[in-house]
Amino acid sequence: MILENELLQLALGMAQAVLLLLCAPLVTGIVKKVKAWMQNRIGSSIWQEYYDIRKWWGKPTMLTPYTSITFRLAPCVYFLTTFAAACMLPGFLGGQAGFGDVFVFVYLLALGRFFMAVSSMDAATAFGGMGGSREVYVAAFVEPVVMLAVLSNVLHTNSTSLAGMSLRMDEVNLTVAGVLTCIAFFLVLLAENSRIPVDNPDTHLELTMIHECMTLEYSGRLLALIHWASQLKLLVFLVLFAMLYLPLDLPVVLKVFIGAVAVGVVETLNNKMRLFKVRVYLAAAGLMLLLAVVAQ
Amino acid sequence: MEMFLVAVGFYGIGVLTMLLPHGMQRAAHWLANSAALFGSAVCAYAAGLLLFGGVSPAPLTWGSYSLGCDGWSAVFLLLTGIAGVVTSLYALGYARGYEGSRLRLLGGMWCLFIMSMVLVLLAGDAFSFLLFWEIMAVASFMLVNHESEKRATWNAAYQYLVMASVGTAAIMIAFLLTGSASEGFSFAAMAKNTLDGSWQHLVFVCAFAGFALKAGLVPLHVWLPKAHPAAPSHVSALMSGVMLKIALYGFGRFMFSFLPAWNYWWCVAVLLAGVVSAFLGVLYAQMETDIKRVLAYSSVENMGVIFAAFGCGMLMKASGSSFYMLGFVAALVHAFNHSIMKVLMFMCAGSIMHGTGSKNLELFGGLARKMPYTAVFAFVGSLALAAIPLTNGFTGEWLVLQSFISLGTSCAGQDIRLWTAVSFVLLGFTGALALGCFVRFFGITFLGRARSEIVEHAHESDKFMLAAMGVASVLVVACGLYPLPVVRAAMLALGMPVALDAFGINLAWAGVGTAVCYKPLLLLALLLVLGAVLWLAVRNCFVVEDVTWNCGTYPTQRQQYSATGFSKPVRRAFDYLLKPKRQVTYMRKEHAYFGRQLSYKLEIPDMITEKLYQPLQKHFVSVSNFLRRLQQGSVRLYVAYVMVAMMLVLVWGALYK
Repeated sequence: MILENELLQLALGMAQAVLLLLCAPLVTGIVKKVKAWMQNRIGSSIWQEYYDIRKWWGKPTMLTPYTSITFRLAPCVYFLTTFAAACMLPGFLGGQAGFGDVFVFVYLLALGRFFMAVSSMDAATAFGGMGGSREVYVAAFVEPVVMLAVLSNVLHTNSTSLAGMSLRMDEVNLTVAGVLTCIAFFLVLLAENSRIPVDNPDTHLELTMIHECMTLEYSGRLLALIHWASQLKLLVFLVLFAMLYLPLDLPVVLKVFIGAVAVGVVETLNNKMRLFKVRVYLAAAGLMLLLAVVAQ
Repeated sequence: MEMFLVAVGFYGIGVLTMLLPHGMQRAAHWLANSAALFGSAVCAYAAGLLLFGGVSPAPLTWGSYSLGCDGWSAVFLLLTGIAGVVTSLYALGYARGYEGSRLRLLGGMWCLFIMSMVLVLLAGDAFSFLLFWEIMAVASFMLVNHESEKRATWNAAYQYLVMASVGTAAIMIAFLLTGSASEGFSFAAMAKNTLDGSWQHLVFVCAFAGFALKAGLVPLHVWLPKAHPAAPSHVSALMSGVMLKIALYGFGRFMFSFLPAWNYWWCVAVLLAGVVSAFLGVLYAQMETDIKRVLAYSSVENMGVIFAAFGCGMLMKASGSSFYMLGFVAALVHAFNHSIMKVLMFMCAGSIMHGTGSKNLELFGGLARKMPYTAVFAFVGSLALAAIPLTNGFTGEWLVLQSFISLGTSCAGQDIRLWTAVSFVLLGFTGALALGCFVRFFGITFLGRARSEIVEHAHESDKFMLAAMGVASVLVVACGLYPLPVVRAAMLALGMPVALDAFGINLAWAGVGTAVCYKPLLLLALLLVLGAVLWLAVRNCFVVEDVTWNCGTYPTQRQQYSATGFSKPVRRAFDYLLKPKRQVTYMRKEHAYFGRQLSYKLEIPDMITEKLYQPLQKHFVSVSNFLRRLQQGSVRLYVAYVMVAMMLVLVWGALYK
């Protein structure tokens, strides 16, 4: 009976993740459209990301002779872990995969990151190593802030399971701590998903990129998987932002939309910052959270 | 108890092989390492029986000396036994490389080392504890100093010996103070000691300093990153995997038995020492280019995490929280898991050294093609040390984080909240830096293209070494996928009632909210099913093979990122802590920008050595120099001293009759 219940939860969680997976390119498309409008351009269609994925899916995959199995495995693991993380989100369909709590969620994403960073060195170029090295550096500063965001939320909700953390968010949480945590988590969201001002997802200049730099050697289906997973990750973080942190009493879909628009606006109004300023940016988020923890 | 004596007997046979003649060194090698293997197997079996079977053996007593075993020591005996079996199996292959250079001594000392660790855990009174503790220090010193022809080895070994002696002195003071306030020196008598307030503080300071030194906590860690790389690899594996944990055993013995009334500041001291060690350890680990030093600093990190969890448990108990056991369970589980994964990684490092003849990260690259099995095992170990889910490294990390969450939620007070937040920040840094560290370790060593010729001549290790690494890898994955036995062992060791969920760890008993669980098997099932679907989709994709794109030129090996380059952003971000000294020289300068030769030198001095130990050493030497003036070997001067002393005595006697 318990097992059946668990499987049902898992199935619902997966259904939810599939739904998110299907919507993920659309959300990225919306972000891009917002940016285009802000820059007085018409921009590409909001469905463009779907066309891109279909295009890459049909293209051949190019591999260098030095690469090992890690190189082919990494995009799959990245995709799978992001999908599994999406299964764990607090259930807006009523279900949730019950194999772990928020720490499992965070470290599951770390599994994908580990594979991507390791595979960046597999093609034996300078660009890959550069991306991996920078990814590891940014992660080193993102993680403590994520931990503090979790702590701040746990002190408020008294649970570390993602469902438990979102339970009491039905009430409007417009306290000092709530607002500070919300802002700080948004800053983390930008850093974790390689957005401006930490990284630039649009540029094709290898020297300024982090995430795109790691994936430079990928093509074809493997590239499609990486892009799709990145879009899913952004959506997952937006859903988390909406359900756990944004202190407004609105439907989740609307809150995710607000988050996506905010990402677009922030990306237009800011420049990408120098790599070594990222620590200052994240330290600001960390300090806000420290205040939130004490004010809790 | 008798079974432990059988194990000790096996080790004893191993020690005696030292006495075999030189011509039989190969036989001595096989005999010693097999004896260590069987002894450890017996030890692990006996400890497992004791722990899970709930048998409590009667202690053996000879006068005031005794050998005994309870839950707290049984879990460490189990750990020693398992690590001993794996490393002895490895030594059967690895130590053959020392043929002709004191092979018999290596085998004998190896057995003596394991035997002394087992006996430290069995010791039932202060004197036998200290005796075996010293034998452990001396045996490990001999093993570290095995390649004593090398200046660096010799240096590291003597530094280790000096620091180990200082640590033993501190522990001895702690024992003597406790013993003098009780009816005897047996642990049972010492548990009923009558130490009063200020003496308790002194005992705590001495015990903590002594055991923290052995555990390698910052700032007492300086011997560790030197001694581990100097020792033969199977020895570093056991030192890192087991000997450091023995320090936790001793510290726990003091805290649980002899000093049960914990002061608030003691708990904070243990907690902060733990988190700071974790952070600094992993930061230095990412800067190192010597593979064994990377692992040694990673041990500092993990011991830090273990002591942080222990301190968290202490703080929860001192603050009256009912979830305090969670901290101790986390510390024990992480200690157990870390022991296995660190043994695995040191064996991989040994295998790399064996295959390439070097331990310099900058020379490797693309080793996965030459040493495929070692690569797989090292990958498992790297994942575990980066605390990735599905490996056993994550289980401990998860419990540690949960115990800190309980600290924050179940204890009132702004100060507790501050300690929790500080710990979370530092543990967050630790987790992410550990990930970076092992991405770098694995990526630079095994992936990409060869950075030097030694990779071309590399060869895979022999069967014994591969088997040992394989067993350790399986244990890492098995304990990661099904963590219950380890968690159960930890709970039994602490005398907790056992109630656990069928699939994973369920923390309903920890009271941190509803349904806080971690179910690796379910997660694995999900990943496997989805992975199979994904594999079907990707399997048939059209693959073209061509050289990596490099702006129109063919890439060379030298264009890959180096290990030093890879850690550059982190080094620069933390330069106020690391204070790297770089020296760039332009060797040839025909053109300002193109075709010039550079020499780049980078040195990261250990901050603690430079700021603490070197001034200390300087003062020590200057005081000694001053004292030397009093003692110059001149007979007339000594006669004068006698005269002066006698006159003072006379004057004193005349004044105070």
